[in-house]
Amino acid sequence: MSAASSAEKLILVEDITRVFHVGGEEVRALRGVSFGISRGEWVAIIGQSGSGKSTMMNVLGCLDTPTSGRYMLNGKDVSRMSDDELAVIRNVEIGFIFQTFQLLPKETALANVELPLVYRGVSARERRERAKAALDKVQLTHRMHHRPNELSGGQRQRVAIARALVAEPSMLLADEPTGNLDSATGEEIVRLFEQLHQAGHTLVLVTHEPKLAARCPRAIRLSDGQIVADGDGRQVAMGTASDVLSAGGT
Amino acid sequence: MSQPSAFRVDVLEGARIAVMSLRANRLRTVLTTLGIGIGVATLLAIVGIIQGLNTSFHQQLATFGANTMYVSKFPWMIKGDWWRYRNRKNFTMDQVQRLRALAPFLSAMSPSVQRLADVAHGGEQMSTVRIQGVTHEYLNISGYEITGGRFLTEADDTTTRPVAVIGADVVDGLFPGVSPVGQTIRIENRTFQVVGTLSRKGKMVGESLDLIVFIPFKTFYSSFGNRRGFEIAMAVEDASQVRSAEDQLVGILRRVRSTPPGADDDFSINRPEAMAQTYEQLTGALYGVAVGVGLITLLVGGIGIMNIMLVSVRERTREIGVRRALGARKRTIVFQFLMEASSVSAVGGLLGTTVGLGTAKVVSLITPLAADVRPMTVVAGVGFAALVGLLFGIWPAARAANLDPVEALRYE
Repeated sequence: MSAASSAEKLILVEDITRVFHVGGEEVRALRGVSFGISRGEWVAIIGQSGSGKSTMMNVLGCLDTPTSGRYMLNGKDVSRMSDDELAVIRNVEIGFIFQTFQLLPKETALANVELPLVYRGVSARERRERAKAALDKVQLTHRMHHRPNELSGGQRQRVAIARALVAEPSMLLADEPTGNLDSATGEEIVRLFEQLHQAGHTLVLVTHEPKLAARCPRAIRLSDGQIVADGDGRQVAMGTASDVLSAGGT
Repeated sequence: MSQPSAFRVDVLEGARIAVMSLRANRLRTVLTTLGIGIGVATLLAIVGIIQGLNTSFHQQLATFGANTMYVSKFPWMIKGDWWRYRNRKNFTMDQVQRLRALAPFLSAMSPSVQRLADVAHGGEQMSTVRIQGVTHEYLNISGYEITGGRFLTEADDTTTRPVAVIGADVVDGLFPGVSPVGQTIRIENRTFQVVGTLSRKGKMVGESLDLIVFIPFKTFYSSFGNRRGFEIAMAVEDASQVRSAEDQLVGILRRVRSTPPGADDDFSINRPEAMAQTYEQLTGALYGVAVGVGLITLLVGGIGIMNIMLVSVRERTREIGVRRALGARKRTIVFQFLMEASSVSAVGGLLGTTVGLGTAKVVSLITPLAADVRPMTVVAGVGFAALVGLLFGIWPAARAANLDPVEALRYE
């Protein structure tokens, strides 16, 4: 792993734990996770269900806060922020891409893409321009006045990606982005990710599919709430990478 | 890049979403609206009718004159034992004359006695016409004006002439298209000559004030017997003197009627204005009950709003999750649902206002009650409805805002 100093990291996670209390029982979903992600990296976080990857995704997405440990995002400590501050961070720093797309069914594709800009207080005209530009990046300008139920699965996910891109966040955070798509359409989306990666976007992809993780230059494998492998995407995905725990610390 | 004009975003986006969601659920919106609407309608109809009652009552009282008093053994509003008043001695003409001498501050004064009777002219007949025996001074107390001929004179009274001055309804009923002055009418088979006609005065609590015939006071007694008691109508120059005149009259009347010292007054001084106060006390209680009923209806409507908003929050759990993930703050979500709740209610309020005012209008058309609707009532109706929606929207909105984004996104 690179020896880049922590200041250059876009994401720096230090010894994060997340404990849930479910029916009087303590569930330790994350037990001391540390890693860093630099600007422009494309990283997959993989693991079986119950490995803690969904919790990791929620923490990285600032939808949840860690029980202990520190999470620095773009130089800001977001692990102890208030609810309202986190809302602003999500708006500015993160572009979400969900497995189930999570588009608002009653709004057009264009209006869906505009949404993050609405919460940023951008004027209606500028919103429209920027949303159109984002839809252009995913080649969907011809469908922008359609509602989600008039679009195919692949098109919906491209609308969701445009929505994630529109506010120019520091990173794109995708949760099983191909999970609800057939393999051909999934491939189309992965190619789009490759293009975005080449264009310099930082991508974090949470998945349980080794094939998808293998396409990423880097992958982190979680098991039982801990990192068990961190390295080249193909090696980690295929389980051939040695346990690389040294990269995360400090 | 923090939160530029965050409040503007909250309001604009909240309003846009509210309108969209109302349009998307038209039937539900209409039904929910109905609850609030009925509440507002009830409230407005009742308030309108009662305000109308009060207004017309005051207007009618005003025709009696604020500068008048009516002395009688009976009070207008009897509280307690009727027999106590019944057993008081009747006034006598002798007392009237002494009163006149002792009370120079009265600008006009006339004994007044009345009964209902049938009145006829030629083939026309009218029943239950008020026949009132008075003297010439009564014109200045009554508030009527002469539209033709003359009013009664002092000489009419002293010589007990069979003459009559008739009200506008009697003119219309007995003399259609004919000038009544100089003609004769029959009251209970006695013939009277019409010497004058009166201006129209309208209705008082549903009863016409123009179905009336004035005849000389003495003529009344000689024609219709003298066992009947009378009251004394009196006026002062200006309404501002009524209070002090009333105070002085108490002493004078006790002297005139030889009331023993220490005994209660054996007469009542009635004033239209005092009657209005009594009336308002009566309708005030009614008003309170009616408004209470209306408020309960509104409460029920409000609970309807709350219920539907809770359903709406549940239905849109995922939407809330998405919005939160994309940067909506709790406050923005609260705003969104409050706007929705209060706009549903405001629409209901508008609907209710229309129906309520319509009802009041219909009531005023088909009954003698005159509904009176003031612009402020309308504004208050719509505003109040919106407020109810806002209040009952708080809990659902808070629930929406406090949803955990992670849970909300996962909600099926």
